[in-house]
Amino acid sequence: MLLTPEILTILILDTLFVFFASISFILSIKISLKWDLNSTSQAQYKLERESFLASTIIKYIFMLKIPLFLFFIFTLNKLAIVIPGAMCGAGVVNATVYGNYLLVLKVLNLYIFASWLTLHLNDIKQENQPYTKLKFTLFIFVFFLLMSEIYIEWLMFNAIDINKIVDCCGTLYSSGANSYISEFFKIDTSVLLTIFYGTFSFIIASYLLKNRYTFSILNLVFMLISIITLIIFFGIYIYELPTHHCPFCLLQKDYYYIGYFLYTFLYLGTFYGISSLFNQQNMKKSLFFNTLYMVIVSCYPIFYYLKNGVFL
Amino acid sequence: MIYLKDITKVYEINKNNKVVALQNINLDIDEGELVVLRGASGSGKSTILSLIASLSKPTSGEVIVDEKRISKLPDSFASKYRQENIGFIFQKYNLIPTLSVTENILLPLIPLNPDEKVAKKKLDEVMARFDISHKASQLVKSLSGGEQQRVAIARANINNPKIIIADEPTANLDEKLSLNFIEILKQMKELGKTIVVATHDPLFFNLDFVDKEIKIHKGKLL
Repeated sequence: MLLTPEILTILILDTLFVFFASISFILSIKISLKWDLNSTSQAQYKLERESFLASTIIKYIFMLKIPLFLFFIFTLNKLAIVIPGAMCGAGVVNATVYGNYLLVLKVLNLYIFASWLTLHLNDIKQENQPYTKLKFTLFIFVFFLLMSEIYIEWLMFNAIDINKIVDCCGTLYSSGANSYISEFFKIDTSVLLTIFYGTFSFIIASYLLKNRYTFSILNLVFMLISIITLIIFFGIYIYELPTHHCPFCLLQKDYYYIGYFLYTFLYLGTFYGISSLFNQQNMKKSLFFNTLYMVIVSCYPIFYYLKNGVFL
Repeated sequence: MIYLKDITKVYEINKNNKVVALQNINLDIDEGELVVLRGASGSGKSTILSLIASLSKPTSGEVIVDEKRISKLPDSFASKYRQENIGFIFQKYNLIPTLSVTENILLPLIPLNPDEKVAKKKLDEVMARFDISHKASQLVKSLSGGEQQRVAIARANINNPKIIIADEPTANLDEKLSLNFIEILKQMKELGKTIVVATHDPLFFNLDFVDKEIKIHKGKLL
């Protein structure tokens, strides 16, 4: 296995997560089976103490896992230096069969972990802890997702072969690539941009109408269309190269690490947006971060046009 | 007002060493009552106080204060309950020696972040009531035992709590100061406070203004 300091850090943290999450998993099963807040029995008081322990462990695991996603991306970008052919994280992701599954699972987990934290926050805000049973039952399922992520992560790092030449991002993110991404290149850019700005306009409208259901669904759409338009359209203005569509290179120093900001804003905006289904107060935060994302990505083509008098 | 229902409290030091502090206790205290819990050291008096103050949770059973199941409160809500409802008077006063009388008395107000004028008004009121105004700026470490206790009483009252809990309040005082404290207790009762005192001091026994005197022995009410 390739053991760089970054991979070692991730593996050590993963080991700790497995250990502590397993404790919480066992406690979660007990709590979800036996929790009865009305009971004044010894067993229930013990469960109440254990629920505090388990939720504290889970909270800290998830609070670490969310920013660690950025560290994972940073690690992929750093690994690109030692893998022949790879120019950025995209090459590393495609260096093994596990990379793409891991990335999708990690993004999915980001939303699930944050949702669990929101549920937990709502639970402890109330005296009668109405979501305790639900949050621990949910954790039983989330535990398997967490373990799957850690396992696939281990498999991926273990499978990386530094002697094998991989495709670079220029090949992977192009219309000629043999992947789902290449299908999006067939769609007219104006259609994609209409969907992107249209979705954002509808998000504003549903915010003004205080319709959290529509707001939540539109945020899910906005997340997907934002990633697609970033790859197909906005990315080329960040790179100032009409053929470069990589979603990883913008995380590099050459582009002032703008990718970290864009992905963080998009994640926060869409997460708060989707979770506004349960908490209407999140709508404002969601709109703030989504607007930040939209303004930043929109600035790139505008500034490019102002500078060069032409669009790519 | 305060209702302890089938309370058992076991302190588990380790797997083989468990101390049963209370066994199936039932206790009812009405609003405005002054209750004295009598018993030797280790009988379970302080455990009852800590349960009423929601400082600890029972092993089984339930504590209800003002119809609220306080033994079921999560920690953050238990802190809020204590802040709003409970005034503590400790055996060793638990004052901060490097702070002045005023600063010690104001401590329970800090988390509430009150308006300065309101805080000043409350401070003046409790210092006057418990006759400690003349020592306001002095460090508490320079005060006598009796004065320190008056500071502790003033601190317990600054939030105007409904319930005053006193754990062996006269253990460090001579007889004269103990009698002074008993007078202060009477004053607090007249203000409508519900007071629970845990003590083995005979001066508290058979006082005419005490509503209930409860004997505890080895975790059981007699």
